[in-house]
Amino acid sequence: MSDKFSEYASPDALVTTDWVAEHLDDPKIRIVESNEDVLLYDTGHVPNAVHIDWRRDLNDQTVRDYVDPEGFAAMCRRNGISPDTTVIFYGDKSNWWACYAYWVFQLFSHTNAKVMDGGRDKWVAENKELSKKIPKPDPADYPVPAERDDATIRAFQAQTLAHCKGSKPLVDVRSPGEFKGEVTHMPEYPQEGVLRGGHIPGARHCPWARAANEDGTFKSAADLRAIYADELGLGEDDDVIVYCRIGERSSHTWFVLTRLLGYSHVRNYDGSWTEWGNMVGNPIEKNV
Amino acid sequence: MPYPGQLNEIVALLEHLPDDEKRGVLISYAENAGKCEPAEGGKYDIEDVRKDEECTDTVGIFLNVDDENKCHFNVSLGPKVQTLTKAMTSILCKGLNGVTPQEILDVPSDFVPRIVGAELVRLRSQTVYYVLTRMKSAVKVFLNRLRAG
Repeated sequence: MSDKFSEYASPDALVTTDWVAEHLDDPKIRIVESNEDVLLYDTGHVPNAVHIDWRRDLNDQTVRDYVDPEGFAAMCRRNGISPDTTVIFYGDKSNWWACYAYWVFQLFSHTNAKVMDGGRDKWVAENKELSKKIPKPDPADYPVPAERDDATIRAFQAQTLAHCKGSKPLVDVRSPGEFKGEVTHMPEYPQEGVLRGGHIPGARHCPWARAANEDGTFKSAADLRAIYADELGLGEDDDVIVYCRIGERSSHTWFVLTRLLGYSHVRNYDGSWTEWGNMVGNPIEKNV
Repeated sequence: MPYPGQLNEIVALLEHLPDDEKRGVLISYAENAGKCEPAEGGKYDIEDVRKDEECTDTVGIFLNVDDENKCHFNVSLGPKVQTLTKAMTSILCKGLNGVTPQEILDVPSDFVPRIVGAELVRLRSQTVYYVLTRMKSAVKVFLNRLRAG
């Protein structure tokens, strides 16, 4: 284990690119690529990695929600994932969607999961092998989970509103322009249909990217504590809700707070700004 | 089909392919996007290189209109541009090569979901329309300059 990882609250939540390179054929693990760029996996991926797409595989195809327990089990089976499989997530955008997929797996209590530090960009930057061969894993046995745990790590609009009214810690991880309400889209992205700009009143602002180094790896535990504990004043036992636009950037921050810093009660409001900024009557603060 | 130049053929080929083959063809187009780069030292009627808010990296549109009023595009792409945008760049440079400025302006964008497939066109991948928009914008500038003499 690297010295950097040993300083984290859950050192085994991360693996290095070198570790992954040494375990490409390990039958006990399944490497999973999750990206924003919908065709990136097809251009070449970590050998033996399967592709789990957030929209196709993790979301319900009709209702804005995640797959149900039956859908999750079916997705795991077809990707050769059993409850005992260690799932290693990585992807583009400094692991936004890898952390999102990791978080969805936690909704179904698949705790045997890790994220590859630095994600796809680091793997490519190190000139490690890429393959276009699509693996065809033998279908695995995955019993349907008893439930999707929407209570422990997920927050809904009503709970977030109660949090806002109760002045409990909310962390907005979007860009400064989005937080201030100057723009209603993410920089470099198309408008995703939000009618109002701004942030949830009382939310503290800490863009997700502050937790990442230039190469996409996570910052050290000491650097992260300086941001979230010292600067934002978040206590390890605080009841925290994080949000962004659709829940992917906040999954990254959720991973940092829970797995790297050991915060015990953090929920991801995945409805995020695309729900909050469209809902009639929701309180909004701007230019603060 | 209402599309000019070779774009008709490309749409006809892609829209009936099974999804996995379609992905393969799109990847191939994306990998060839580098061939659309402008020639070093080349001269163009319109050079429009910029980084817009709605695209992940800089895109440069280089347009020449020849003596027969036919358009020829080159496109430069920054390294962070998404794969679908790269594929669309290749498709449009090839598909719209040699068509007139007015035909470019008249190209409807409904070919995009037909060749890309509904699964790949999402809110987060709306930039597949971006390169066409930029090409039309370059053509408009060219025509405005022409009118202004």
